[in-house]
Amino acid sequence: MGRRFWRSGISAFGVLLFIQACSNQTAKELPVLGPYKVVDNIVDGRLITDTLFTQIRPFIFYDQDGEEITEKTIEGKVCVVDFFFTSCPTICPKMKQQMLRIYDEFENEPDLVLLSHSIDPKRDSVERLHEFAQKLNVEVSRWHFMTGDRDSIYSMAKHYMIAAQKDDEAPGGFAHSGAFLLVDKNRQIRGIYDGVDPESIDLMMDDIRSILIEKSVLK
Amino acid sequence: MKFIASFGLLLITITACDYKPKNQGKSLYLKHCQSCHMENGQGLGQLFPPVSNADYVNIHSDELACIIRYGLEGEITVNGVTYNEAMSGNRQLSDIEIANLTYYILKELNDIEKPYSIAEIRLQLDRCK
Repeated sequence: MGRRFWRSGISAFGVLLFIQACSNQTAKELPVLGPYKVVDNIVDGRLITDTLFTQIRPFIFYDQDGEEITEKTIEGKVCVVDFFFTSCPTICPKMKQQMLRIYDEFENEPDLVLLSHSIDPKRDSVERLHEFAQKLNVEVSRWHFMTGDRDSIYSMAKHYMIAAQKDDEAPGGFAHSGAFLLVDKNRQIRGIYDGVDPESIDLMMDDIRSILIEKSVLK
Repeated sequence: MKFIASFGLLLITITACDYKPKNQGKSLYLKHCQSCHMENGQGLGQLFPPVSNADYVNIHSDELACIIRYGLEGEITVNGVTYNEAMSGNRQLSDIEIANLTYYILKELNDIEKPYSIAEIRLQLDRCK
């Protein structure tokens, strides 16, 4: 009986080791970025300190099909977020080239959605965005090109910690960052990448894989 | 010591002046064209046409200089695909820079054997003023 006990014990340990080794390969802990609050709560007479990270706040924009896109649309999804405009002569085409790489790489991944906000909503109407998306040959369900109220878009960029502003001196009339943001299923920012640098996007795609296997805790 | 220093300086000067139309053409391409037409001239979707291995470049090779300087508007067909986004011009480029850029696009990106001389480019540019 003793021998049997040890044998099963050792094999159970082996299985455990194996599981551990496997999960180690995929689990990459990514930090939550952005402002946070430290909150003290009394639970059952004991002091519990929690760190509360900011969630991306609710929003309403319109995509290339004129459909309303809100935080509900992306519920339980991992999102790649950027800010651009269709007539941008400088970094935007490169950003779209890299975004297309992500789009192609995660072709069979329904839980990943790309959100491109136009910072030139006056010119980038729903029709214009529709034409743009068509020329990139992408599906609306996986890549939303969004327009909407100008002030809301700019304050949303700020909320995402992305620089964007009207600037008559800049080529095309707007100055903005080429950053891509990785937002997890809980609407929290988990990574910021350089949208014109293929190497940074390689890293982002690795991180997307890690984030996709995380579970949503959002209620 | 002095000899070594001057030799070194000479070496640096020689390598720094690695001046060939192809080299200037390439750096001009990377600076002014690649953000839309992409690093190898492959273009992007139906937004930006390819400029490498592109039939349009072959057919309209004598209009390239003008397109680079003054831009292009309206529908065009490149390798069987239609494009209709406006391209803005690059008026800050000199005749010689345009000649070198044209050389790079024709020779390096499209394998066209006899690119234009600067005199020919000037004639082409005069026609589209």
